[in-house]
Amino acid sequence: MAARRMLKAVLVDLSGTLHIEDSAVPGSQEALKRLRNAPVAIRFVTNTTKESKRDLLERLKTLEFDIAEDEIFTSLTAARNLLEQKQVRPLLLVDNNALQDFRGIPTNDPNAVVVGLAPEHFNYQMMNKAFRLILDGAPLIAIHKARYYKRKDGLALGPGPFVTGLEYATDTKATVVGKPETTFFLEALSGTGCKPEETVMIGDDCRDDVGGAQNAGMLGILVKTGKYRAADEDKINPAPYLICESFPQAVDHILQHLL
Amino acid sequence: MHQLQAPGRAGRAMAEWAKQLAGIKGVVLDISGVLYDGGGEGGGVPIPGSIDAVGKIKASGLKLRFCTNETQATRGKFVAKLQRLGFNILVNEVTAPAPAACRILKERNLRPHLLVHDDLVPEFDQLDKANPNCVVIGDAADNFSYKNLNEAFRVLIGLENPILISLGRGRYYKETDGLKLDVGVYMKALEYACDVQAEVVGKPAKMFFQSALAEMQVEPQQAIMIGDDIVNDVGGAQQCGMRALQVRTGKYRPCDEQHPEVKADGYVNNLAEAVDIIVKQLHK
Repeated sequence: MAARRMLKAVLVDLSGTLHIEDSAVPGSQEALKRLRNAPVAIRFVTNTTKESKRDLLERLKTLEFDIAEDEIFTSLTAARNLLEQKQVRPLLLVDNNALQDFRGIPTNDPNAVVVGLAPEHFNYQMMNKAFRLILDGAPLIAIHKARYYKRKDGLALGPGPFVTGLEYATDTKATVVGKPETTFFLEALSGTGCKPEETVMIGDDCRDDVGGAQNAGMLGILVKTGKYRAADEDKINPAPYLICESFPQAVDHILQHLL
Repeated sequence: MHQLQAPGRAGRAMAEWAKQLAGIKGVVLDISGVLYDGGGEGGGVPIPGSIDAVGKIKASGLKLRFCTNETQATRGKFVAKLQRLGFNILVNEVTAPAPAACRILKERNLRPHLLVHDDLVPEFDQLDKANPNCVVIGDAADNFSYKNLNEAFRVLIGLENPILISLGRGRYYKETDGLKLDVGVYMKALEYACDVQAEVVGKPAKMFFQSALAEMQVEPQQAIMIGDDIVNDVGGAQQCGMRALQVRTGKYRPCDEQHPEVKADGYVNNLAEAVDIIVKQLHK
């Protein structure tokens, strides 16, 4: 275990870490309360592309988590920021629910492609449409490149495979705005006044949550809930700072060893 | 997209690679993008001059084989389609991925989960498909739905030793209504999802070209490949020791002529032009 650091901020993944679909990970609400008693800034970071910030907040409130809207940073927000910066008109392959986070951005005569988790758009026709735009020069923006995620009925393909396919088809590279990109983790900290070296990330996705955070200079705690599968921890280098059964145990460790 | 070069310049360029045709005993032809463009009502449209070109090769005494990655239908069905369009082509002149894959699956006792075009399924009738221990992916077109891809993914991710066999690895092909994503794109998608590497049956795999040459009984150095895919047709053939020409029809794009890794032995406007030069050279 690493020497004691000055911990000032905690980033917490949502899906798979605090909750799995509509059920909270047992003990997490109470663990979050205990974490709030500590002198740390907390941000909830998510690659979820199916839900707008409002949707996320509602679900978390229903599950009795004490969270404010401005503590949530999503990859949708990061994507929107990039579109505005580049001043492009996107073909949005995102879930209908997520469209509200792009309100105000023109989508007529698209000259960019945004890919999120949108199974209903990953059909052959839509993929061909996106492919032709990118081949003609439209930038490809990926909200994230998750390989798969856990649904109640088993594992399901994330947007990553489709983005990879489009990259191969067009011989281009997507700009990824979500985890595990370093820019995502740094943007998540903006407003907290904290540095990556003062931050711990807790998540269930070894590569995207823990690997990404550690590459950005943070400590990463891997929890064995959600999409975690045995030996995931062997897939990143350096290995996770810590592996815990679930979020409550991660909070225990932080309170006992990192403050 | 189909950049025809001015006759004068083309003449000089062609003279260059025509010199390299000494010793050619056999011609290997790609089908899609060289003979015809698929899609539309009749199943496709012949590329001008291609029907006659095939006839000329057969009349010349050169050996001929068709080497295709077509997997949207059984060999029998798509050869019948080409015959209807006017081509002089027989099933036993065609090397295609599905029959090759079946041989491999049988040899290795593999039971496939198929993610292929509906019309290709009969090629696999002889194989046991219960309790699949591998996934075979072909040019499934509209069958590349999220649901079907997810099913294939779940089979792979659940196997202790995940085997993904891809019938080709092309990026896209041309149909009458535009460019469309090819099997390689979805192969990459599943490779990424499962962190595995696919085995490719079909161009540009060496074994595939070699089996075509074996059927022709021609050495690689005596054969010339003509295709529209700079990497899978031209590059793949050259890797086997064959010469290869790229046509400016089908999926060809001008940037192909500046490909960082593959330089064709010659670039021709279409099959008809290639065959005229080859046959002329024969009679010198």
